[in-house]
Amino acid sequence: MTGSNISRRGLMQGATALVAATTAASPAISFEREGNRKVLVFSGGQPVPILDPHVRYDWSTRMMQQATHDALFKYVGNPPELVPWLAESHQISADGLTYTFRIVGNARFHNGDPLDAEAVRFSFERGLRINKGVAWMFKDFVKPENIRAVDARTVEFKLERAFAPFMSYLPWWYIVNPKQVMANQQDGDWGQKWLTDHEAGSGPFKVRRWDAQSIMHLEAVADYWKGWPMGADKRLAGVIYRVVREPAPRKAALQRREVDVITELTPDDFDQLKTIPGVRLEDHPGMTSFGIKFNCQRQPTADRNLRKAIAHAFDYEALLQIHNGAARLQTSPFPHAVRGHIDVPGVPRRDMDKAREFLRQSGTPNGGIELEYVHVQGLEDPRRIGLALLNSLQPLNIRVRITGQPWPTMVQRGSKPDTAPDMTSVYVTPLSTDPDTVAYQYHRASWGLYYGMSHYQNEEVWRLVDQARAETNWDRRAAMYAEVQRKIVDDQPEIFGMMANRRWAMRDYVKDFRFSPVRFTGEVDLYTMWIDA
Amino acid sequence: MAPPATAVPADGLPAQPAPRAPQPATGSARAWRLALWLLSRSFSSMLGLALVLFIVTLALLGPWIVPYPADAEGAINLLNKLEPPSAAHWFGTDEVGRDILTRVILGTRVSLLAGLAITLAATAIGAPLGVLAGYSGGRLRETIMRITDMFLSVPGLVLSLAIVAALGPGIGNAVIALIIVWWPGYVRLAESKTLAIKEEPYVEAARVVGASRARILFRHVLPNCLSPLIVKMSMDVGQAILAVASLGFIGLGARPPEPEWGAMISVARTYMPDWWWYAVAPGAFIYVSVLGFNLLGDGLRDILDPRSHRG
Amino acid sequence: MLVYIAKRVALFGLMLFGLVCITFIISNIAPADPAALAAGPDASRSQIEQVRREYGLDRPLPEQFARYVAGLARGDLGRSVSTSRDVTSELLRYFPASLELVLVAMLLGIAIGVPLGMISALHKDGWIDHATRIFAVSGIALPPFWFGLLLQLVFAVQMGWLPTSGRLSLMTIPPEPITGMLLADSLLRGQWSTFAEAASFTVLPAVVLSLPCLASILRVNRAEMVEALRADYVMCARAHGVAPWRIVAVHALRNAMLPTLAIIGLRYGWMMSGTVLVETVFDWPGIGLYAVNSAIASDFKPVMGVTLLIGLNFMIANLVVDLLYGVLDPRLREA
Repeated sequence: MTGSNISRRGLMQGATALVAATTAASPAISFEREGNRKVLVFSGGQPVPILDPHVRYDWSTRMMQQATHDALFKYVGNPPELVPWLAESHQISADGLTYTFRIVGNARFHNGDPLDAEAVRFSFERGLRINKGVAWMFKDFVKPENIRAVDARTVEFKLERAFAPFMSYLPWWYIVNPKQVMANQQDGDWGQKWLTDHEAGSGPFKVRRWDAQSIMHLEAVADYWKGWPMGADKRLAGVIYRVVREPAPRKAALQRREVDVITELTPDDFDQLKTIPGVRLEDHPGMTSFGIKFNCQRQPTADRNLRKAIAHAFDYEALLQIHNGAARLQTSPFPHAVRGHIDVPGVPRRDMDKAREFLRQSGTPNGGIELEYVHVQGLEDPRRIGLALLNSLQPLNIRVRITGQPWPTMVQRGSKPDTAPDMTSVYVTPLSTDPDTVAYQYHRASWGLYYGMSHYQNEEVWRLVDQARAETNWDRRAAMYAEVQRKIVDDQPEIFGMMANRRWAMRDYVKDFRFSPVRFTGEVDLYTMWIDA
Repeated sequence: MAPPATAVPADGLPAQPAPRAPQPATGSARAWRLALWLLSRSFSSMLGLALVLFIVTLALLGPWIVPYPADAEGAINLLNKLEPPSAAHWFGTDEVGRDILTRVILGTRVSLLAGLAITLAATAIGAPLGVLAGYSGGRLRETIMRITDMFLSVPGLVLSLAIVAALGPGIGNAVIALIIVWWPGYVRLAESKTLAIKEEPYVEAARVVGASRARILFRHVLPNCLSPLIVKMSMDVGQAILAVASLGFIGLGARPPEPEWGAMISVARTYMPDWWWYAVAPGAFIYVSVLGFNLLGDGLRDILDPRSHRG
Repeated sequence: MLVYIAKRVALFGLMLFGLVCITFIISNIAPADPAALAAGPDASRSQIEQVRREYGLDRPLPEQFARYVAGLARGDLGRSVSTSRDVTSELLRYFPASLELVLVAMLLGIAIGVPLGMISALHKDGWIDHATRIFAVSGIALPPFWFGLLLQLVFAVQMGWLPTSGRLSLMTIPPEPITGMLLADSLLRGQWSTFAEAASFTVLPAVVLSLPCLASILRVNRAEMVEALRADYVMCARAHGVAPWRIVAVHALRNAMLPTLAIIGLRYGWMMSGTVLVETVFDWPGIGLYAVNSAIASDFKPVMGVTLLIGLNFMIANLVVDLLYGVLDPRLREA
């Protein structure tokens, strides 16, 4: 041990030196300007490889798609509200099968072409025919040939069958300019190759410079058809999205005022930024749920009592501690912001007596088993939660093998009950506030998809979910969904975890940040933001 | 056969034993005493030996001397997370409140075992193949050496990265991947040594008196390849430890809660610079152990394989 | 001589093909489903199947291999499933960044390694010699990822002298690419401030990357110098009263030049692979970072592409050194 004593002493001396030098002055680089307007610099860790709004979405990609395109509706505020955007009005037929939208008259694409009903029709057809990205939302309900541009400003959708959540997905279907796209088509690809790094939208920003892996420079459209909420004199000259993969330099850049807004930091980083003058934290309850899915089709986790035992042994406090309190425990399979959410009575909390009781009734009354816990490789929080799980289950004599796996491997394993891990940690962000988005994850049709890795089986729940999505009366739907939530909690196909807060750190001169939980973690609406300094 | 230039061993040291340097048989107790004496004369070799002994001792005694043995087996203490170094936690605590000193010391065993496993397995595969290739010549030698060349045609780290990515993370897979990229270096070394030894008078003599091929290989050729092999192995243990840590750092190493230095640094990086102490200790241990094995190997080479010393 | 070169080149082709086989095998033992990765998280099964067809992943493996090799012949390394971009064009974009880093690191290695080697040869077995030996061994013993973090901590965070990571500050617009290497481009375009900035970003990663190279150069140089200093003609010069610095600088150094050059050539290939770790630490947008990010995502076409590119660089460097030796040392041609 002398050796380690020596190295320790050396280390402590080094520590003193470091602390002494901590107050290194940083040069105050002010925000970027362009003429007399400012440029907002936003930094996150995820690149934006594909601009095409019909091919891909994730938080950073969609933030850029939203900035450069418009959709018929837009989600605004908290709780999220569906605000008419390109559609100035709409009608739904009594049978819930025909939707008619009237398009605004003054919307223009960035190249000056008018945005008309045909552009809307084309964009939906394109999305459905390409069958990637957003297509899954509508492909079972809308056929491309049943979308019709009635006149220059009216577009009509005829659905195959009633689908109550239809409207709630419309904000993610962005409209592209058919003339530009088809002029750049190659080998019948619907312009996919070209749209990978070009943009043909009508949104408040257009692309000036774009390097998928590092930087994206957007330029504000001076005469955006919808106008600018902060007033034309205050609007930004543009926005720069800068990819900085590591959190530490991102944080340092904010402190040095090289960037104005950052996201994707650890909870500890956020806590530290709280104390920095001139930095404001935006901290809002999120809608992304974290759960640990059991494999309900394969032993030992096919045993409901074992699942219940684990769920009662799990240390839910750890979820909050890992996030330094910036999280909220789930009280139902549905996140709080989803319509129809209820606080289900009897959602498990840590209770070792109950846990032991359930274990006694299970097929392995004395534990002595090892379960695999799989998380996406490289994600820090699920790894830490795995450690908490391992620690929680030790008193039950259940060992946990923590495995980090790349996303595609995890999805591949989860696609079949035989190969799905005993426990898989999954984040799910509902793409709309409609309860169907979440409820359908427990349906037979979702088996094998990443949110359906539990291969949950309850015919009664499946029937209710099918009924509810075709039902147009909200009160009747709400009752069905309440029942669905109670039944799922009772079956315990997963450990209902938490929703972590969505957090951004920004300089205090950044104004009018508008939070909406239906966006992805990290994603912001750049349209309303400006710099006051 | 091989111009000296292509024959850089996988660890990257330009320590190609020149084919022209035949090795006199050593083995008598006297020669070993001489070797030890020479070793003790060199400051850097003794430093290497001391560091290696230090690491080996920690690896052996680990579980009995660490203050919080449970911290390497899955215990967590979230209320104590990311604490700076203190009397209770000399190196501070990590992101779930575990004692870093404990984990670093217990990590010695993981890294040392991995390093030894890689080196021994690579030698066990590579050295016989190399001796066989060198002794038999002809088509067999061509085949063995061309396959060796293929593996040596890309730096080991890149290839092992690809292999671990395919096999999936885990210390076992990392070790397998590194064995796959490591053995060809031993083929090269053993082959060139064998080529030189083959022409030695005593081997010729054995052949003339009718000794079997196996006997010649095992009694005469292999023992005389030993000293360069030992030198290479002692250096390679260090490099293998570093390679395992590198894969751990990239995120393809040990799975939690196993304490592995590279993986610890990988996590610690997320907490830089504000919780800098987290990364310091594991890195220092990697450095110390790799330095130790390299200095020792360096010293051994000066003694056991003096004429191959090219730098 | 020609026969020798022809033999080496033929061997080179064979090795390249072998490498293609190895990488292809590796990329196909992975349990991951690349189509699921390409189709995105919410994709339904029909979407995944469609992507599988689009990428040709539904074909039997031999056919996929044949297509891959045919693509390689055209310089087409396939398409990344996570970004759906061409690997070749991505590599063309990232390679100059790595090359720049490697070249700068190599210059650093030479500029420090050669004189240090000389000094320790002159003081053979003295304390300077021991110190440089430990320094040299440290060069290969220091985990580059850890050393990089420490340098960032001290020089970027505490002192604030140098930037932490990246290639240029957020707002600097890089010069129009000519070579893709920022230092060269900014010089060619006469943008001095951009050059200075790019240089400041290059310092820390280049120092970390140069260490193993520096160590090799130092040791080879030392050994050759020690040998040269013992040689008859040097003794003779010494006896004739030629100044010691002159002996070292002119005679001995000249002698040590060839092995040093050889080491530099060999080190070039190793440094290309060193970018994997260094670029990860310094967020340097080169092929190493590209490989790591792709490997972690189980996106194998880019990993294969980078492996082949680094292998190619490595083999070319070895080939050049071989041929150089072949030309300069006739004894080896027999081999």
